[in-house]
Amino acid sequence: MKVGIPKGLLYNNYKPFFHTFFEELGAELIVSSDTNRDTLNNGVKYCVDEACLPVKIFHGHVAEIKDHCDLILIPRIMQLREREFICPKFCGLPEMVVNSIPDMPRVTMEPIYAMSKDRLFKWAEVVGHEIHNNKGRVKKAFEEAVQCQLNYKTGLNDETSPMKVALAGHPYNIYDNYINMNILKKLRKLGVGVVTEEIIDEDAKAKEIKKLYKRPFWSFARDNYSFTSIAAEKKLVNGIIYISSFACGIDSVVIELIKQNIEDFPFLVLKVDEHTGEAGLDTRIEAFVDMLERRSS
Amino acid sequence: MKITFPHMGNIYFAAKTLFGDLGIDYVIPPISSKASLELGSLHSAEEMCLPFKIMIGNYIHAIEKGADTVIITGSCGPCRLGEYCELQMNLMKRLGYNLDFIVIDSPNDIGAKELLSRFGKISSKSTLSKTNKIAALLRAIKVINLVDEIEAMARNKAGYEVNKGESKKILNECKKEAMNCSDGKSMIALLNSYKTRLENIEADKNKNPIKIAIIGEIYTVIEPFSNLYIEDKLMDYGVSTHRTLSPSWWLKNLVLSPINLNQLDIKRKAKEYLPLMIGGHARECIGEAVLAHDEGFDGAIQIFPMGCMPEIVSKAILPQISKDKDFPILTLVVDEMTGEAGYITRIEAFIDLLERRKDNVLSRC
Repeated sequence: MKVGIPKGLLYNNYKPFFHTFFEELGAELIVSSDTNRDTLNNGVKYCVDEACLPVKIFHGHVAEIKDHCDLILIPRIMQLREREFICPKFCGLPEMVVNSIPDMPRVTMEPIYAMSKDRLFKWAEVVGHEIHNNKGRVKKAFEEAVQCQLNYKTGLNDETSPMKVALAGHPYNIYDNYINMNILKKLRKLGVGVVTEEIIDEDAKAKEIKKLYKRPFWSFARDNYSFTSIAAEKKLVNGIIYISSFACGIDSVVIELIKQNIEDFPFLVLKVDEHTGEAGLDTRIEAFVDMLERRSS
Repeated sequence: MKITFPHMGNIYFAAKTLFGDLGIDYVIPPISSKASLELGSLHSAEEMCLPFKIMIGNYIHAIEKGADTVIITGSCGPCRLGEYCELQMNLMKRLGYNLDFIVIDSPNDIGAKELLSRFGKISSKSTLSKTNKIAALLRAIKVINLVDEIEAMARNKAGYEVNKGESKKILNECKKEAMNCSDGKSMIALLNSYKTRLENIEADKNKNPIKIAIIGEIYTVIEPFSNLYIEDKLMDYGVSTHRTLSPSWWLKNLVLSPINLNQLDIKRKAKEYLPLMIGGHARECIGEAVLAHDEGFDGAIQIFPMGCMPEIVSKAILPQISKDKDFPILTLVVDEMTGEAGYITRIEAFIDLLERRKDNVLSRC
């Protein structure tokens, strides 16, 4: 059995879980290549026009591997925490893909509820059954995968750098170097360190979020709002850069909330879509860094 | 305290009856117009969706007429609507308006006690006894059901009427006169009389008009200004339209959803294409499209505001339904930049297509 894993959306965050789970079940993994020009072109070709850049790129990844595997993993991540959601497009991702790309192999339709191990196991049971009939083996693979995932940490923290920016936004915009045009490398070359939301622990986030009138019901909103709020208040960084995909519904709310909250703390919003030119992006980053330098001197 | 609320289709009739009968001071913002949208777009974040912007315009117009408290509904689904309250509060404060917000949110999230206290804030302003308050509420529900029923009937009859434009004329007259009613009882009586008038208009049963289902995002479908009065336009073309989503449908859905008895047929029809609830009304949109085909409609028009997350998912699925069932579906995306001429051209072209399909026997094979 060949299982295809597209390298789009939250792949970077849950890579160990999916890899271990399918490998333990004895499946052969076909992983798409890192996002590149062809991925984007394929994505734009197949995906519905109104979708955001990361969703289009996900379509591109699927299109790349669809002819080489028997089953494609399309993680329909519904909820990561209790009473929180991701984005409606994640909830309808398998439907979007199978109705947009022709000649698809089988895909995983099962929803993922990751707020507890038991709920997550429901996904593993159904998907595992497609590959292996032995329930004990599925259970074992699942346990192993969860363990691997728990040992895996994402996040960047250039502590030693004298000048630092907080890099906020959805994980797939931060970690996909094609989407953000290597922003990490660019910033570091300018002598600016990068910090991401993982440095803030859960309790501090929960406390910060209580200050809002209404508890935000998106996991990304909660993470980014509390991170930027704490980073600005405690002066953990010199400025904040928010990478946002064009027409992202969640960002349209979160960026407003952040702007109203941090007031005149340096804040740069970088909008990315399939037409973003690298030169313009460079200029904006350089201007922002110049401004930060002038403020601190 | 002077209460106001954002416009959404026929809700203002129910609000007028409710607050009028309760004896609470209220302001109905002027019907949504270009002016409200322009005001809203000026002050809102660029990427916010269209309903947000029109609502801000409604608030500012209502404040000019003396309103100081806004009632809005919230939700905790993954759609943006649930976050409106927080952003709108901050925005109005920044603009220098001192506006109170009463957010009617789901009890699962804020707790039943908090919800009741928020309701209490409104009803404590009324001097009526408890039974009279409930009677007023029931009258408001009756009004919204009647108005929606009359509207649905008029839209449907537009395709069959003998005297062209009669049902539209009666509908407009009815809405205008209802706003002059002094209390709930007289409004119900008036609506009932208009309902009989509509029932009795001269109709040609042998006519076979084009029938179109209007589906999509609830606000842009219900609030006529946001979809550039598409239903009125279709009435003028002699097209019979049907739309499932309406304030009274929403209310019924809300009451029935805890016991999972809401819109069973839509859920069943949507199952093949979108089995899960993904927020907003995406599943309803898919279900209605399939249902419209099964009920013999000629086509469907999907409307949603630019950037609407759930409807983008349904837009990705609709072409497949269209292909599987040989059922034309037109998607219209609206925002503050929508130009009316281009919009009309698309609708006309769609109707032409439907007409031609109807005439040509071969196309049905």
